[in-house]
Order: sequence, then C-alpha cells, then structure tokens
Amino acid sequence: MSLLAELFSARAADPGYADAAARRAARGEPPGTRGRGAGVLLVVALVGVLLAVAGAEARRREPVAAQERARLVKEIRARTAESDALRRRADAARAEAERLRAAALAGTDAGHRARRALSAAQAAAAAAPARGAALVVTVDDAPHGAGDGGGRVYDQDLQVLVNDLWGAGATAIGVNGLRLTATSAIRGAGEAVLVDYRPLTRPYTVTALGDPERLSAALAGSAADRRLAALRDRYRLRYERRVRSDARLPAGTVPEPRHARPVEEGERGR
Amino acid sequence: MIVLLGLLAGIALGLLLDPAVPLWLQPYLPIAIVAALDAVFGGVRARLEGVFDEKVFVVSFLSNAVIAALIVFLGDQLGVGSQLSTGVVVVLGIRIFSNAAAIRRRVFGA
Repeated sequence: MSLLAELFSARAADPGYADAAARRAARGEPPGTRGRGAGVLLVVALVGVLLAVAGAEARRREPVAAQERARLVKEIRARTAESDALRRRADAARAEAERLRAAALAGTDAGHRARRALSAAQAAAAAAPARGAALVVTVDDAPHGAGDGGGRVYDQDLQVLVNDLWGAGATAIGVNGLRLTATSAIRGAGEAVLVDYRPLTRPYTVTALGDPERLSAALAGSAADRRLAALRDRYRLRYERRVRSDARLPAGTVPEPRHARPVEEGERGR
Repeated sequence: MIVLLGLLAGIALGLLLDPAVPLWLQPYLPIAIVAALDAVFGGVRARLEGVFDEKVFVVSFLSNAVIAALIVFLGDQLGVGSQLSTGVVVVLGIRIFSNAAAIRRRVFGA
C-alpha cells in the first residue's frame, strides 16, 4: 500500500531528486543550478519524437481498422444476398421438381399411389408446409422481479411439452415458427433455448396441428401440463393454451441423405 | 524555454522523418510514452521544487523506458503481456497523477 500512501502524501514521488539535492548541498553547491544541459534537451527531444511517432502511428492505424470493418460488413452483406439468391433458386427448383413429379405421376394408378405415399412421407418428415386447426401453447418467463430466480423457461420444459403434444396426437409441431422434424433438438445454451441450433426469443409459442379438442383433452393432466401448471403457480411463469382454427407451419429443414446419391446415366437400368 | 524548444524540435523531427515503427516494436510504444511522461512530470515537479538535477532526470527517463519495455517484453514471453502492460500503465499513471497534483499545488496553490 506504499504506492497509495505515497499518492496521498505530498512527499516527493521520486526520491532521486531529493537525494541529489542533498548530495549537492553536502558538497556546497547551490541548489537548482544544474539542469539546463544537453541531456535535458536530448531527453525532451526524444519525448517529442515518441509523441509524434505514436500520434502518426495512431492516425495511420485508424483508417486501416475502419476500412477493414467496412470491407467485412460489405462482404457479409454480399454473402447474405448470395445465400438468399441461392435459396430462392433452390425453392424454385424444388417447386419445379414437385410440378414435374406431379405431372409424371398423374398418368397411372401406380403413380397416384406413389404420390399419396410420397405426400404422406413428406408430411411425416416435415418436408412440406402444413396447415390446419391447431392447439397453441404459449410459455414465457415470469415477469421481472417475480419469483426467486426460478422463473425461467428451460429447454427441458419445452422438451416435455413437445413430447406430450406428440404423444397427444399432434401431426405437426412448430416452436416460434420453426418446424420440428424427427431429428430436431431442443437444447439450452446458457440463457437461450435453441431449436436446431437456432436461438429462440421469448415468448415461446408451441403450435401443434391436429384436432384441438382431442389435443387439449389429451394434454390436460399429462406430465407437461402438471409440470408447467406447477411452475406457473410457484414461479408465476406464463402458461396458456388456446385454439387456432387455421395455423400454418413452414417446411422443416430435412436432413440431406448422406449416403444416397443420384444414379449416373451409365448406371441406369443395371 | 530550452525544454519547450526541445519538445517542439522532437515533435517536428518525428513528424518530418515519420519513421515506420516495426511491428515488434509497436506494443512498446505506448508504454514508452507513459514512462517518458512519468519522467517528464517528475522533472517538472523537481524543477518547481528547486531540486532539479540533470543526471537524475536523464537516468530516470532511460531507466523508466527500459524497465517498462522489459516488463512488457517479459510479459509477452510469459503470455501475460496485456496484463503486465496494464500494471505498468496503472503504476506509472498513479505516479504521473501524484506528480501532476504536486505541480498543480506549486503553480496554482490549490
């Protein structure tokens, strides 16, 4: 603490000068006479050079950083636009493939059957958009200051809710507009709840397509219902259910087949 | 007078020559400036108190700069360069403030 003590006392911070003065006094020289020499000039000039160089350096470095940032921002925008364009192209190609497939399958009975099987498989894999009557469950953190820090919705709460909704017979489920597929994961990362690695923002709205009456009846008294109701009573979490007659869910991200590959022209028919 | 002249000459020299600071020297530049400012404020304070001594001034400047650079270099080698830089700046900053406070008391009597 001697540093702090020194700071608040008025004593000389550098005892070197006091010692030198004492030595000079002991030798009988008058105090304060030495001090206008070449050494002082040199040191002061050196300080000036240092300041000038540092100033020039800082000026030189600042525009470089700004340019770098602007370049990065531009690149991000360009790449985002590029990926948007690619996604539009992919959507158009998918629609075109869908149309061609429908046209190709429309002719025959076997084609009709294949098409029905395909759309059933697509619905099951959440590869196609879905719409219909739905039960909407809204869960949210307790308002600020309420409860004792336990008033947060965790990933497990949503997991249990989604599992019980599947169990209640929901045909499609989306959380905050993100469609759940067979491989979707609801996870927590720090403060955030992620669905398929995409962070959700509160409140959490779980939309389950299916007959709302039946879903509601099956959900009532389930593990999720008991758990969320208990959390609502104890921590003032928000938990409410309502029915929507026409809800839409987008297609989910279907995992790419990793081992299947298109048949080459030469291999066909082999 | 000679001090102001020297300072201006140094600044002019630095701006005119505009030497490119090599990359390995760049982390030491801010530390060297803080160390130099410490020596300068100490010198000004000593001058005002009438105990200025050229040898002490030159030696304190050189040793401040060298030791500060050495600490930062050592910190870089040990992987705690930024923390040690912070430490050096804090210590020298405290000294600069206490010297500046003494100068203020001398000059303005407040």
